[in-house]
Amino acid sequence: MTTTRRNLFKLAGGAAAGTILTPVPWRLITDTALLSENWPGVPQPKRGEPSVRFGNCSLCAAGCAVRARCIGGQPVSLAGVVEHPLSRGALQSALRNMRSGERCAVLDLRPGRTASWTYRRAMASIPNGTYLSASQPAAVDLAAVKTILSLGVPVLDGWGTPGNVLAARSRFRLIQAEASESRTAIMADEWLPIRPGSEAALLAGVTGGSIAEAAAQTGLTEQQIVSLERELRENGPSLVLGPNGEVSGDVLVQRREAPVPDEWKKAVPVSELDSMADGSIRVLLIDESAPGDYLPWPAIRGKLAPESVVVSFAWSKEGYGRQANFTLPTAVYPEAVDDIPPAIDCPVATFRLAAAWVAPPDGVVNPVEFIAGLAGLDAKNALQERASAIQKSGRGTIFDPAGAGKPADLWKALQNGATWIDDGEAKARAKTADDKKRSSALLEAKTADDKKRSSAPLPLAIAMAEPHTPALVSPLCSKVTYESNLRLGTHGAALHPSDAQGAGLTTGSRARLETAAGSVTVDVTVDDAVPPGVIQVGGGPDLQNVCGAALRARVVRS
Amino acid sequence: MTSSKKSIKPARYGMTIDLDRCNGCGACMVACAVENNIPPVPPQGGDRKGLTWIRVYKVDNGVEGAGRRSAFVPVLCQQCGEEPPCAHVCPQQAVEVDPATGIVGQMPERCLGCRYCMAACPYHARYYNWWDPAWPAGMEKTLNPDVAPRMRGVVEKCNFCHARWHAAREQAAADGKPDTEPVSYVPACAEACPARAITFVDLNQTPPPATGFRLLEKLDTQPKIYYTSKREWVRKIADAPHPGKEPSRG
Repeated sequence: MTTTRRNLFKLAGGAAAGTILTPVPWRLITDTALLSENWPGVPQPKRGEPSVRFGNCSLCAAGCAVRARCIGGQPVSLAGVVEHPLSRGALQSALRNMRSGERCAVLDLRPGRTASWTYRRAMASIPNGTYLSASQPAAVDLAAVKTILSLGVPVLDGWGTPGNVLAARSRFRLIQAEASESRTAIMADEWLPIRPGSEAALLAGVTGGSIAEAAAQTGLTEQQIVSLERELRENGPSLVLGPNGEVSGDVLVQRREAPVPDEWKKAVPVSELDSMADGSIRVLLIDESAPGDYLPWPAIRGKLAPESVVVSFAWSKEGYGRQANFTLPTAVYPEAVDDIPPAIDCPVATFRLAAAWVAPPDGVVNPVEFIAGLAGLDAKNALQERASAIQKSGRGTIFDPAGAGKPADLWKALQNGATWIDDGEAKARAKTADDKKRSSALLEAKTADDKKRSSAPLPLAIAMAEPHTPALVSPLCSKVTYESNLRLGTHGAALHPSDAQGAGLTTGSRARLETAAGSVTVDVTVDDAVPPGVIQVGGGPDLQNVCGAALRARVVRS
Repeated sequence: MTSSKKSIKPARYGMTIDLDRCNGCGACMVACAVENNIPPVPPQGGDRKGLTWIRVYKVDNGVEGAGRRSAFVPVLCQQCGEEPPCAHVCPQQAVEVDPATGIVGQMPERCLGCRYCMAACPYHARYYNWWDPAWPAGMEKTLNPDVAPRMRGVVEKCNFCHARWHAAREQAAADGKPDTEPVSYVPACAEACPARAITFVDLNQTPPPATGFRLLEKLDTQPKIYYTSKREWVRKIADAPHPGKEPSRG
């Protein structure tokens, strides 16, 4: 056989074709796959000694107890502590330049902490110092309640301590009055679809106000409102939760605070922002390091004096940081130690810590030490001093998730996830005549305000679809927002198809949402579950600023 | 795992999901992502290219106005019986049913990324990895060392937190328990559910509830995920082409 060029080509072609039938190419593919799994673009998890630590999460007001799985000391996952009696396993200075009558104020978004006591002590040492809280801490005895009327409050979606609320769910009847079918409305025993912005009118209707007026504003019949009022009266104890944090009913309890050292009691009282005169705050220090209730910026802006100074202590620049003159970076859970005040559904005082499991980055500021330092106080050991005061009082019991029994050193046990729980039965809070007068005056003002705001010539009524969400929450929250559309993101808004069509919008469009308080860019979702004439918005700070102080809006394609 | 599969008493792991308790909070989705090192996808990925091994859909009774009622349906890999549709079509044998657990496993090392399995899965419970896994700076430190991040170009899906099963068996061995004894383990979604809507069981030990129903039973894929609801219209969604309305939320 002669070797010709044709035969050589035949041999090469045949060999190439034959190789496909051998394991070689498949082996190459497998090896490439294995290589690509380990190439530098794919992060490799850290290895190390596994361990378990107990603590409490301070990312939201619920303060759930957590069990952290650590690898080489680094927490890699958190899970609830099922045995925990509170959370039940669920996993939510320019001081010297002030003029006469102007004030220096600290705005605390999560009152009731030891840090709150430090701020009150610091403000007592500063001329015209004022301590402002976003809301007055209230306490309800959820174990006793039989009927709850919620006016748009997300009772089953982050209110209180979720584990505790869901554990008590079978014992109470829940009536949800809300414009759209929210998560809580879906799970409620009865959903009353009312007109957006008419919550205050319904609250007035069931608490002795005009039923005819309530019916006219809410769209419910007078008979429905009368039956509702009767049910609350006859199927008690009942609880009514208003849209702006109003809490009323037979299950409000007087919760004692956890003991504090005697010398701390020379502190300024707690004030609410509404009680401040307009233009009276010269220096405002906002502690955003512990997220809690969010006050729309327009409500704060009105209280500031001309040439005021606003300092925000925050772990994200997305909140008040955009309005403040200075933003000082702070550590975030689990980088900083803080205590967790009892949530609204906890009838007794508690004391527990969110421990620092991870070293904070360089350059962060501790807001408590910073503000205490302005007043010349040393607050470095405030938490430890309070733990000593609690232990000295001899009150309460201790729950230790590690099951170590009653600890000799409360401070040490607290750092390992223990919880001090005050003893004593929940005492019903007697409502004073002053309380009633104040409450009805507030309600009247709110109803009038809502009527005024809802009459603005804008086509869409605003419904807040999500609880306030601090900006830059875990990146993995994308799973429930844009990766699945289960929840509206921090810049999300949902419209009925007819309203979206009118504005030329489709799902995924970007639009400008305008209200009397300002405008913001939103990502649109078209959803036929949203009633016509309503726009549901997410809970990011931008949307809270623009929508929290307004009831009506319009969207314009951008 | 060091012991041979033959000596392990076979289990048939499954779930019961009470749709009347699910409030659509999404805690299961986030817990799953944390446990299984599922990265956040870039925002342009949207809900079509997202990686959600368990995904909660919102469904409704189709009535407009005040008569409208909705429910939430968590959908994950339904862990079909002996012959899952995805295993049949895989040219690489990257899908296997583990006889010791009944778990349908997915091996990214073998996967070519052809996505035949995604087309074959009637539950839309498989996801394609469009991007190299990437976490924001600092988050790599919190990755679970028991689960390898998957590379771009492969399909992935729920495996009932198989790494937890391995860890539970290793713990049982360390405690000196015989490998014929059932191990106690629970996937991250069931552990995280604040409403206790998800119950993880060995169906050989705990039979499914008599009122339980499965998605698309008519296809005879024999899923191991059972749902329960007292509401008639919710039970009917099990026969829909796919749960939820995709253009809508969830």
